[in-house]
Amino acid sequence: MKSRKSLAFWCVVLGLIVAMTVFAGLFSTYGPNEMDMDTIYQPPGKGHVLGTDHLGRDVFSRLLEGGKVTLTVAGVSVILSFIIGVLYGGISGYIGGAVDVIMMRFLEALITIPSLILILAFQAFMQGGMWSMALIIGVTGWLVTARIVRSEFIRLKEAEFVKMAKMFGTPMWKIIFGHLLRNSVPAIFVVTLVNFTGAVFIEVSLSFLGIGVPSAIPSWGNMLFYAQNDILIGAWWIGLFPGIMIFLTILAINFIGEVLKDPRRRRLDA
Amino acid sequence: MLNVDRLTIEIDGKCVVEESAFSVRPGKITSIIGESGSGKSMTIAALLTILPLGAKATGHALFNGRNLLDASKKEMDAIRKTHIFTIFQDAANSFNPSVKMERQLYTFSGGRRGDTVQQFRTKMTGLLDELELSVDILKQYPFELSGGMLQRCMIACALYVAPDLLIADEPTSSLDRVLQKEFIELLKRLNEEQGTTILLITHDLDVVVEVAHEMVVMQAGKVVETGSVATIFKQPGHPYTKRLLDSRF
Amino acid sequence: MISKWIGKRVVMGIIVLFIVSFLSFFIMHAAPGDPATAFYGGNAQTLNAAEKERISRVFSLDRPVIVQYGAWLWETVQGNFGYSSKEGRPVSVILFERLPNTLLLFSVTMFFIIVGSIWLGTVAGMKAGSMWDKGLSTISIASSSIPPFWLGILFISFFSVKLGILPSSGTEDVGGDGGLMDKIRHLIMPAAVIILTHVGIYARFLQESIKTESNKYYVLVARANGVAKREIQKGILRNASIPYLNYIGMTIPSFFGGAVIVESLFSWAGLGQLMVKAVMTKDFPLIMGGILSIGLLVVSSLLIIDLVMYGVDPKLRKGAYSK
Ligand SMILES: Nc1ncnc2c1ncn2[C@@H]1O[C@H](COP(=O)(O)OP(=O)(O)OP(=O)(O)O)[C@@H](O)[C@H]1O
Ligand SMILES: [Mg+2]
Repeated sequence: MKSRKSLAFWCVVLGLIVAMTVFAGLFSTYGPNEMDMDTIYQPPGKGHVLGTDHLGRDVFSRLLEGGKVTLTVAGVSVILSFIIGVLYGGISGYIGGAVDVIMMRFLEALITIPSLILILAFQAFMQGGMWSMALIIGVTGWLVTARIVRSEFIRLKEAEFVKMAKMFGTPMWKIIFGHLLRNSVPAIFVVTLVNFTGAVFIEVSLSFLGIGVPSAIPSWGNMLFYAQNDILIGAWWIGLFPGIMIFLTILAINFIGEVLKDPRRRRLDA
Repeated sequence: MLNVDRLTIEIDGKCVVEESAFSVRPGKITSIIGESGSGKSMTIAALLTILPLGAKATGHALFNGRNLLDASKKEMDAIRKTHIFTIFQDAANSFNPSVKMERQLYTFSGGRRGDTVQQFRTKMTGLLDELELSVDILKQYPFELSGGMLQRCMIACALYVAPDLLIADEPTSSLDRVLQKEFIELLKRLNEEQGTTILLITHDLDVVVEVAHEMVVMQAGKVVETGSVATIFKQPGHPYTKRLLDSRF
Repeated sequence: MISKWIGKRVVMGIIVLFIVSFLSFFIMHAAPGDPATAFYGGNAQTLNAAEKERISRVFSLDRPVIVQYGAWLWETVQGNFGYSSKEGRPVSVILFERLPNTLLLFSVTMFFIIVGSIWLGTVAGMKAGSMWDKGLSTISIASSSIPPFWLGILFISFFSVKLGILPSSGTEDVGGDGGLMDKIRHLIMPAAVIILTHVGIYARFLQESIKTESNKYYVLVARANGVAKREIQKGILRNASIPYLNYIGMTIPSFFGGAVIVESLFSWAGLGQLMVKAVMTKDFPLIMGGILSIGLLVVSSLLIIDLVMYGVDPKLRKGAYSK
């Protein structure tokens, strides 16, 4: 009961954040890149709800636009890593045998390499726009998904209903999509949520360091990049709000994942 | 020694033992017999107040005049440590997998009685020998031993402690016939020489005939018949008991 | 006696390093410019034709890529990582300058995270239903949702800008005595940021393992037979530490990744900050060296954890897992 309430609450929070950023144009009061040199470093108050930055840009409007960029990068990368992970894990788990052993050994080796280091290396010669950022996060983020898909496939392959389906000559693709994949959805969903928080973390971290999304595009990480200097002169609002947004987004997803992960709930729904 | 009256156990609202009543007289061997799932193990758990989460026991279980069901945690700890020893049904899982047998057997036996490790070694070696176990097992881990060996380890601890009340939940389930026979002899000796009262739970009517003085028949959470073994075997009162006895031959 | 299992782990580590080396070679190969420049960086212009010829021979630059990889690997294994294209100094020298700082930050944070999480997790796990038990899961989710660098910014704005009691960057004061106190003052904030954002999840994991372990049959049996509470708890903790150690091993790679960001924020002169700088300046030899050395660090810490696990888990020692 309590867990259902908390699930609803955090879904609403996440939904609000996503809606506000997706429809940024509707809510923002200024253009995200609209500069006004007469009103630089204005603290939150009338006119600018969350203040202005060093170029007189409206922090609130940039916050919404930045969220769109950050969440898009994370979303696209998660879709990409989902596809790669399902393919890799699915093939490994479905075929089994020596192929499985080799593929898993390779995966185990890859998992021990910090993905951030790989991403940094890719960034060195691929540094481009937000799409290349999403691509890089996606191609380095599928490892855990693959592992989970594989173990789910192996578990389900032995299940009675799959054996039955095979016996009745159900075509392979139907078994894979209709039985194996469909029943792995709860587990894959949870790991995808975790991936999403990881992708948000990576985008904001890299942009914050100045090696992520190009600084001309507003993203939560880029806003924090500039905020580093602004904080030194006391303009706390520029760094505070993007941080809170990141925190809230990740918090909401983590709490949602927490409820879904709960085995008691899983059993009720299955 | 032990008087159980109107004992009812509910798990998540489901009744698994209903209004059960029986008594264990001092110096006697009492046997509980009944089909699988009839609530034998649950009864034991209630007596020791180690019911699983969500389970609730009501009624009375007087142990030497003290109601176990409403005893404080501290009292219960003391009773479990000094008066009762319990051999659990699932011997294979009764030991911590990553601690050596010597240490575990010591805490179950010598440690309880305040013996030194030296005293423990001497006495335990003798007991293990009687149960056809080599002393080498003391240096091994539980996962290196078979279920039957672990069961005998527990039995050895029970014999070592010689408690006021020994509760044994199907102690011979993974032993072969020969070992089972030997164990029954040891049980008899414990009862006769040390005066240990024994509550023995079993499926096996042969064992009941062999050692028990009195018996309690359980079926589907209810105690359907109690009395001395001799009387019940001569004149079973309840249809279930009759069927049970018939199935023996 | 060296067990088969430890041997397997070492082989696995070597395979990982092999893959890492392959990736970094691939990156160098994909880098713009001719390979000699990529390997000798800024010094390439000063090389005369004969030296270029020699490099080309050593690295088999006129041969197929796979042979080049072999030649490069051979040089790397011998400790020749090439020269930084920006600084001109040997990469290995630069790496060795940075290594102590990273090791210091890593060991201090890991130490406090392990000690803190064992303490918190044990208290919360052993006292089922207590405030600790209920509070820890919420606190751990909340604390792990904070981006570490953002917490770092808040720390800087408070402790450095407002109160002025802690330095906002660097590993020691410029012109300072370079003493221990100096180092510690610089270490406090980066370490605190990493510890605070990590200790919760590790504690929570231990708490869950303890709870699972407490429901095992053998605990019930011990409790029913009057085994002392402390003795039972010791046994529970020992068994719960096995999945906990496993979890630490699983998260070590991402832990190193996270440290990169924090090092950069506080200009902590470690390998992570070096990597970020090298990426910014596209200093490819340095990037390769950075990847390899961080890979080596991860692999060796995993090996240490494996050794500890080997000591804690008798099933591993007796080979009870392999079927
Ligand atoms: N943890 C539990 N949660 C819910 N119900 C349980 C639990 N353990 C046992 N039961 C139920 O309690 C009833 C009695 O079980 P109990 O273990 O006492 O049977 P038993 O007589 O010991 O059987 P056996 O001879 O197989 O050991 C059973 O119907 C069982 O389904
Ligand atoms: Mg039972």
